[in-house]
Amino acid sequence: MRRSPTVNQTSVGWFQLRMLLPLLVVSGIAVGLPLVYAFYLSLTDFSLTQQGVAQIVGVDNYVKSLSNGGLWDAIATTTSYVLIAVTLETILGLLIALSLQKQKWARDITRAMLLAPMFITPIAVGLTFRFLLNDQLGAIPFLLKSLGLNYDFLGSGKALFTLALIDVWQWTPFMVLLLLAGLESIPKQPLEAARVDGAGALYIFRRITLPLLTPVLSVAILLRSLDALKVFEYVYATTRGGPGTETETIQYFTYQTGIQFFRLGEASSMAFILLIIVLPLIIFLFRRLEKRNTE
Amino acid sequence: MGTVNLQGVHKAFGTTTIVEHLDLDFPDGSFTVLVGPSGCGKSTTLRMIAGLEPVTSGTILINDQDVTDCEPRDRNVAMVFQNYALYPHLTVAENIAFPLRATKAPRELALRRAGEIAESLGLAHLLKRKPKELSGGQQQRVAIGRAIIREPAVFLFDEPLSNLDAKLRVETRSELLAIQKRLGVTSIYVTHDQEEAMTLSDRMVVMKEGKIAQVGTPSEVYSKPNSVFVATFVGSPKMNILEGNLHANVFTHASGESWTVQSPHEGEILVGLRPEDVAPTPDPLGNASIEQVELLGPRAVVTMTVGGQKVVSVVDAAKMTSITPGTKAKIDFSPDVAHLFDPKTKLRIP
Amino acid sequence: MTRQRFLSSLRGIFLLTALVVVGFPLVWVTLASFKTPAQLNDPSLIFFGPSLINWTHVLEGGILQAAGRSALVAGITVIISAVAGSTAAYVISSYKAGGTVTRFGILAAQVLPPAVLVFPFLTLAYVVRVNDSLIPLIFAHLSFVLPVVTWFLIGFFDSVPKSLEEQARVDGFTRFKAFMLVVLPQVYPGLGAAIIFGFTLSWNDMFYGLILTPSKSAILPVAIAGFNTFRGVELGSMSAAILVAVVPVVIASFFIQKRLVQGISGGAVKF
Repeated sequence: MRRSPTVNQTSVGWFQLRMLLPLLVVSGIAVGLPLVYAFYLSLTDFSLTQQGVAQIVGVDNYVKSLSNGGLWDAIATTTSYVLIAVTLETILGLLIALSLQKQKWARDITRAMLLAPMFITPIAVGLTFRFLLNDQLGAIPFLLKSLGLNYDFLGSGKALFTLALIDVWQWTPFMVLLLLAGLESIPKQPLEAARVDGAGALYIFRRITLPLLTPVLSVAILLRSLDALKVFEYVYATTRGGPGTETETIQYFTYQTGIQFFRLGEASSMAFILLIIVLPLIIFLFRRLEKRNTE
Repeated sequence: MGTVNLQGVHKAFGTTTIVEHLDLDFPDGSFTVLVGPSGCGKSTTLRMIAGLEPVTSGTILINDQDVTDCEPRDRNVAMVFQNYALYPHLTVAENIAFPLRATKAPRELALRRAGEIAESLGLAHLLKRKPKELSGGQQQRVAIGRAIIREPAVFLFDEPLSNLDAKLRVETRSELLAIQKRLGVTSIYVTHDQEEAMTLSDRMVVMKEGKIAQVGTPSEVYSKPNSVFVATFVGSPKMNILEGNLHANVFTHASGESWTVQSPHEGEILVGLRPEDVAPTPDPLGNASIEQVELLGPRAVVTMTVGGQKVVSVVDAAKMTSITPGTKAKIDFSPDVAHLFDPKTKLRIP
Repeated sequence: MTRQRFLSSLRGIFLLTALVVVGFPLVWVTLASFKTPAQLNDPSLIFFGPSLINWTHVLEGGILQAAGRSALVAGITVIISAVAGSTAAYVISSYKAGGTVTRFGILAAQVLPPAVLVFPFLTLAYVVRVNDSLIPLIFAHLSFVLPVVTWFLIGFFDSVPKSLEEQARVDGFTRFKAFMLVVLPQVYPGLGAAIIFGFTLSWNDMFYGLILTPSKSAILPVAIAGFNTFRGVELGSMSAAILVAVVPVVIASFFIQKRLVQGISGGAVKF
């Protein structure tokens, strides 16, 4: 953190306030206000179809939501999704980052191309894969069939995994980006020293590279996990929660409750429950980032 | 046992040559310093011996075994880096023990040995600390400890003292020398500091632009530099080089001044004079004018101009009383301290 | 040496495979956008006479208007974010303004699940009677783009040496002038990257767009989703629409590669 010379204490304070004000005002309207209102909503029986004024029903919505099996299923579904997707993304991302680091020629262009999926709007990715995996029209089932294999990507028991794979396709580049930078920020000389000291490549990776990569690795995993649990577009594009409720993720479930069933009050309470579950992760991520910044 | 031989070792990147067909031998137990200005190829040579830099052509032998294509870990060398290259996430003990652990030694044994070595280096109380909590000098000693623990055939030092402040550098220098003498391990030391080279080495290798300029003991290189480059590189303040003409044992400087110089050589010549071999005597009719006098404790550095050329002299401070800036003095030197060089080849004339 | 060669080839094959995996769906979509409905029925068709029927359909169907709306929303969002974000990021970086709470708030706002804020936006839009416009969407986008842009910029301001600013102050500049004329120019590359990244985030959003905009003025991702009708996906047109959304952003991404990492981690990871 930079510290500036403070000659005149009060003028510094005003200066900081003036500079911070636009952010505070806009965030106040765009984040603060809705957040408070969402909390208010969660305490009412607001429904889009209802006439008349919404009544405050206290924690009724929360009780209803917490005892809603569908919500807990959605949480479990999302958790599996995140675990599968992020684990695969971390391993693949690390392998790709390690390979890119050692790559000599055409490195920048390779990296630029490999990072492209990150920037595509997720709904497009979802729809593209829906198309690609379609039994009649898709290229992938076609290729598999020509090898004698038959795999029902979006069928029962397989759909969630398929969605996780879509996530892996789109977001492994994010892991590659962060891990590559992390690898490049590891000082080179200790690695050379290790080679002279008699360590083999695997030992160096295990004992030096990986421990020194851990700070970046943990930040990357946290960021990606927090993002992955918001998954909505892939579900909307492909399975709409099905087969059955197999791919009903939290965000999708909440969307259904609020937009399809119009029960905004209840949906808000679900969103807040999600927020409370996610808060420890955010705090943990924050701590990790602050620690790195003060090193 | 640790002998190193370089045979025709050559390193080039495309059209740029870094090290040119180097032939060099390092006897067992010797302390050789590779010294030269930046870019002369000394670090590259060291790294090639370590195996960190691939050789373009040529052979490297360690203990008579061809290691040219071997990985660093198979060469039985240890290296101390300029920036210490300590493992930031490991403690001092683990840093020193690393080479043993990396070669599958049991943990207790490795840590015990590390403890002993830390003890001998005065680091025993720091064993649990991490590198970033240590001072530069302490980090340096950890790096040395890490090199010692393997009992390698050769120690390689890549400008290990450059990051220390002047006083610490001098202290650590003598400690290093003591360690090397005690262990008797062949050492190859790279530095750009000629003073360091002079004090540490049994043998000095002065390098320039990828080639060896001169090899010899410090006193040989100092007293008989074989080229203008070596003559002006070694020794501080730098040797004075005067241009002029030699005829019948009389050297006539461009300014018109002349001195006696004993040599059969005739014609254009460069005369090299070490500052301590030139003594100014105050003389209002003298050939030199005093520009600057810097007192350095027991000695004084006198900067003069002779016929438009700068000449530096080093004298006892006691003799300084009558030499002040702005006055004139006479320069004299005895013929046998003059180093003679050919103006075209810049090489020593015997 | 051969071991090195072997590993090198292995790496090359691995990266090549990755490139193929990445490129395959994109190539597929590009091809599909030029196929007639009949040609689309055959998944093995690679070489065919291209047809522009999907493109005309999509362009007549208003895809460019949808793209224009996306661009408008993204543009406004990004401009506000850049202005508010840069001044804030500067004082947060230099003076630790707002303390830990502000920094936490910025991080939390970025990772907040949209489900939390979308319902208030919906109802508040009705209350303020702006529900039939793009205004609620802009605010919704600001809710996450502004924190992201600010977060990016904090990282970049952190790497500007404070001596630069001190020199400017000594030379007589006021704090604000020092910021505008000396410090801010130092982070222009980072600012550019943040703006492009923020624009991309807004451009790519579908969740808020789906819920907060009236269907007649849908933004691009929503329009794309619109091809997913109950008749089955109108593949050809959908592919064309996807390309309209994807190509500009991917091209823009090539320019911000280097700064991206520093920004995403808020300066925790330097490139």
